[in-house]
Amino acid sequence: MDHAEIEELLGVYALDALDPGAAAEVEAHLEGCVRCAVEVAQHHDVAGLLANSGGAAPAGVWTGIAEQLGGTSDQAWGRLAARLDPPGRDRGADSADATVTTTADAGTVGAGAPVVPLGAGIRRRRWVMAGSGLVAAAAAVLALVFGLQVHHLNGQVDALRAGPQLSAAERAALASPSTRRIPLASTASTGARSTPATVVLTAAGTGFLVNDSSGGLSPLPAGRTYQLWGVVGGRAISLGLLGPRPGIVPFSAAGTVPVTGFAVTDEVAGGVVRSANRPVAVGSVRV
Amino acid sequence: MLVDVEQASDANLVVAVARWDEPALAEIYRRHGGAVHSLARRILRSDPPAEEVTQEVFLDLWRNPEKFDAQRGTLRSFLLARTHGKSVDVVRAEESRRRREDRTARETATAAYDIDREVWDMAVAEHVKDALVALPDELRHPIELAYFGGHTYQQVASMLDEPEGTVKSRIRSGLGRLRRNLIERGIEPAGAGL
Repeated sequence: MDHAEIEELLGVYALDALDPGAAAEVEAHLEGCVRCAVEVAQHHDVAGLLANSGGAAPAGVWTGIAEQLGGTSDQAWGRLAARLDPPGRDRGADSADATVTTTADAGTVGAGAPVVPLGAGIRRRRWVMAGSGLVAAAAAVLALVFGLQVHHLNGQVDALRAGPQLSAAERAALASPSTRRIPLASTASTGARSTPATVVLTAAGTGFLVNDSSGGLSPLPAGRTYQLWGVVGGRAISLGLLGPRPGIVPFSAAGTVPVTGFAVTDEVAGGVVRSANRPVAVGSVRV
Repeated sequence: MLVDVEQASDANLVVAVARWDEPALAEIYRRHGGAVHSLARRILRSDPPAEEVTQEVFLDLWRNPEKFDAQRGTLRSFLLARTHGKSVDVVRAEESRRRREDRTARETATAAYDIDREVWDMAVAEHVKDALVALPDELRHPIELAYFGGHTYQQVASMLDEPEGTVKSRIRSGLGRLRRNLIERGIEPAGAGL
């Protein structure tokens, strides 16, 4: 169906009056057509007013919902864990010398993991514990690529400390022994392994993404941007947009919940709240 | 940072739900559970399946809060759209379809849907009623049959003895006209500024 034919279906689509096949065609169109998506949202708003006959929420139904919340948390965690730590990966990755031959299964950032702001996470303990295993696995992945192509980046990071863009406090923080350098490994399945960028993270939570100026994250075309994600408690949260040609980009990871890993994705300009794209680079904060 | 759920906006509650904050989901249920259940019950005409749909809608929000986009409408519109879709799925299931086969299309079209009565209890019932009444019957009936009856537009066309293309167009233009009628009466559907 072309655009005009789809447009004619938007009303009946919004009222769920289409057969599944046609509805799927409309949904596919809506993915790339903001104009039609807005019209559907407007139809939903009108229909919502028609449906709104009010009344109190039935207490008994809530009881049934509440009984299932714990189970759904576990199921959701299972889905996320499967993406980050696919079956078949060497479970011995907890050890520093575990053999992991690829980063190609690094997962999809944020898929099934809603983006939430830093510093306010209230998480169940079992989630944090489960997440630490994933971080260890990711650390093992980094162990393979760590040491490759880092000298240039280290030079850039050192230059960062002397750069004019930093305050005295930031320079002092960067000089602190507690400041970490987290190399981000490319997830490309072809070509040589590389470390296209490094995250420099101070104990206070101030961070910098340092792109390797001699062949790190490639410039993106118009309409695209790199987006930085932090892994907190096993879930990916957005730490900010890096732009299409990142150099040294500051970000804040301040908060009560530690960031245990980082990832960079290629997204549409403006960024996304939940990425469906495979990361182009990933790194783990060593624990 | 703890969320004061009673003071939080719907959008902030959804963010809290993304952190597995159960009180936030409970507050969302308190605010919108009645409307969700009411719509499901109206379409399904029975309490047990309506309660099941209501549960599914809120559990879906718990599992996938990222599906709600605050820039594309209100949380209530989102929840009601999900409710409607799930309810229609139930209606169209084979057992429901067989039960409905006993009724003639004409009876269903002329007797079963009284939208004025059903919206009476709404907080904005008078305005919505006025906006509906202002719609010509040929625009209003297809919307009622599709939305509250859970019928496909082809079924609606058969019930009204109209060409499918005509019904399709009338539903779309009827929704647009209804929206304008509501705005003229001071009711601003959430997406009006989009």
